[in-house]
Amino acid sequence: MAVDEGLKIELGKQGVFVTTLQELYNWGRRSSVWPMNFGLACCAIEMIATTMARYDLARFGAEVFRPSPRQADLMIISGTVTKKMAPQVVRLYNQMGEPRYVIAMGACAISGGPFKQGYNVLKGIDRYIPVDVHIPGCPPRPEALLEAFMTLQKKIDAQHLTGEERPRHLDAEAPGMFPVPEQGEHDLEPPANKNVWTVPVVIR
Amino acid sequence: MKTVEEIKAAIEAAVPGAGVEVVPNPGPAAQHSLLLKPDTAVAVATFLRDDTELALDFLSNVTGVDWLDKEIAEKVKVTRTVAKTVDGQEQQVEETAEETQKRVEPGYLEVVYHLYSVAKKHGPVVFRMRTGNRTDMVELPSMTPVWRSAEFQEREVFDLYGVAFKGHPDLRRILMWEGFKDHPMRRDYVEPDDFDYEPTAHDEVLKRAQEHQAALAAQKGGGE
Amino acid sequence: MASNPYFSLAVLFVGALGFGLAPLALAWVWAKVFSPSKPNALKNAVYECGLESKGDAWVQYRSGYYLYAIIFLIFDVEAVFLLPFAVAFTGLGLAASLSMLVFVLLLVEGLAWAWAKGVLTWA
Repeated sequence: MAVDEGLKIELGKQGVFVTTLQELYNWGRRSSVWPMNFGLACCAIEMIATTMARYDLARFGAEVFRPSPRQADLMIISGTVTKKMAPQVVRLYNQMGEPRYVIAMGACAISGGPFKQGYNVLKGIDRYIPVDVHIPGCPPRPEALLEAFMTLQKKIDAQHLTGEERPRHLDAEAPGMFPVPEQGEHDLEPPANKNVWTVPVVIR
Repeated sequence: MKTVEEIKAAIEAAVPGAGVEVVPNPGPAAQHSLLLKPDTAVAVATFLRDDTELALDFLSNVTGVDWLDKEIAEKVKVTRTVAKTVDGQEQQVEETAEETQKRVEPGYLEVVYHLYSVAKKHGPVVFRMRTGNRTDMVELPSMTPVWRSAEFQEREVFDLYGVAFKGHPDLRRILMWEGFKDHPMRRDYVEPDDFDYEPTAHDEVLKRAQEHQAALAAQKGGGE
Repeated sequence: MASNPYFSLAVLFVGALGFGLAPLALAWVWAKVFSPSKPNALKNAVYECGLESKGDAWVQYRSGYYLYAIIFLIFDVEAVFLLPFAVAFTGLGLAASLSMLVFVLLLVEGLAWAWAKGVLTWA
């Protein structure tokens, strides 16, 4: 149940703060998104720069990089995901507690980038785990990562506590496990998780 | 620094039966290299490192090269006896004709080593070794006992080309995982058919993507 | 009851307890009502940087580590005493100097004993 905006502002003038449980909950979560302490390639350097004083990720409540997936909410896939690394990344994602989010940072993480046709590079991490925000760039500037953060915060803000639209972590029916790919004789098996990734339709 | 020919002479003086050949480089770099025989290669390498004049103490890089089977067309003069009617009489006549014959030169894997001398500040000296073929005779002696820096690079050559280095202390795959069967840098390597989504395909990738789509369509048509 | 001098303390105690327990209770109720628990084998696996964990976490260490740590600790503490001793050295009397020397001597004796026992040889 949403409070009428005008009434809320009027009450605010009188010194009364009105909110809903959902707003309070989302505000709390979006203001304390703790990323996982984990970098894959050159994008990780930009990610580190983002956390430092100049770009100051702490403004978004996300300065605490947790070295354990148990305490992390956000996985920043910062760099090339090789086929050797992909099972580890997926396993770490599985070990994170819900609610968990993924930012695919850079060309490699979203599609394989310049290494797309390489024999050892995964063509985008979204083949195995659900990605919330994609950032293009090679590597993306820290501003782009901040933009991705704000996009993620907007996404969290729009989530519903109940009803059909509610996110995965509030839905008992939604899947909680994303199978880890096996390293086969020629390729990862399966090459993509069909429940997560469907072949996008190219519109020309 | 000595020229390649001088180094060859020095090697042959020091290591009897070394059987070193010079592989000329016709390009402007003219960086000729030495071709070592696998069975004497370690002795030659040790000489190159320990010789006071050469003192090649630094192995800078190890490269793998894959040479496919080569089909060589040659023109050969063939003499054969043909029955012919000459002056109203049947006679056996020898005739010479030019024919193109094709022969297949078996391919091989090649490993190229670049040596420098930090002590003498010279280099590079390039030497190579070749395997018997590309399938079952892929063993070469490891240079790791001579230059420690060869270890990871030889592992990489093993991983990507499939050259088995004899005497390597830790010959495991380095980039690909254990249980991976192919050697991705070989020229006949075919990458897995994972061309579902190629939004900006061109050239070879476009061809593969179209083939993949066609195969998918055929599969769908067959299923119905 | 209200006249009891400890009454105010009891009220504060209950308040303090509530302050600690209320957020826990709230989190528990929230989890019960809204977020379903979805454990699975992957999620509950031992965390090992994404790799599949191998072997047992309970492994035996050499007792040598322990002895090393003990000896290090003793001389670490000794340094704490030596520094003020060195600073105040010129102003110290004979008794203070002697007692400090005895202290150092005791430790040296211990070190000599450990050395003789072969604790310092690492093999």
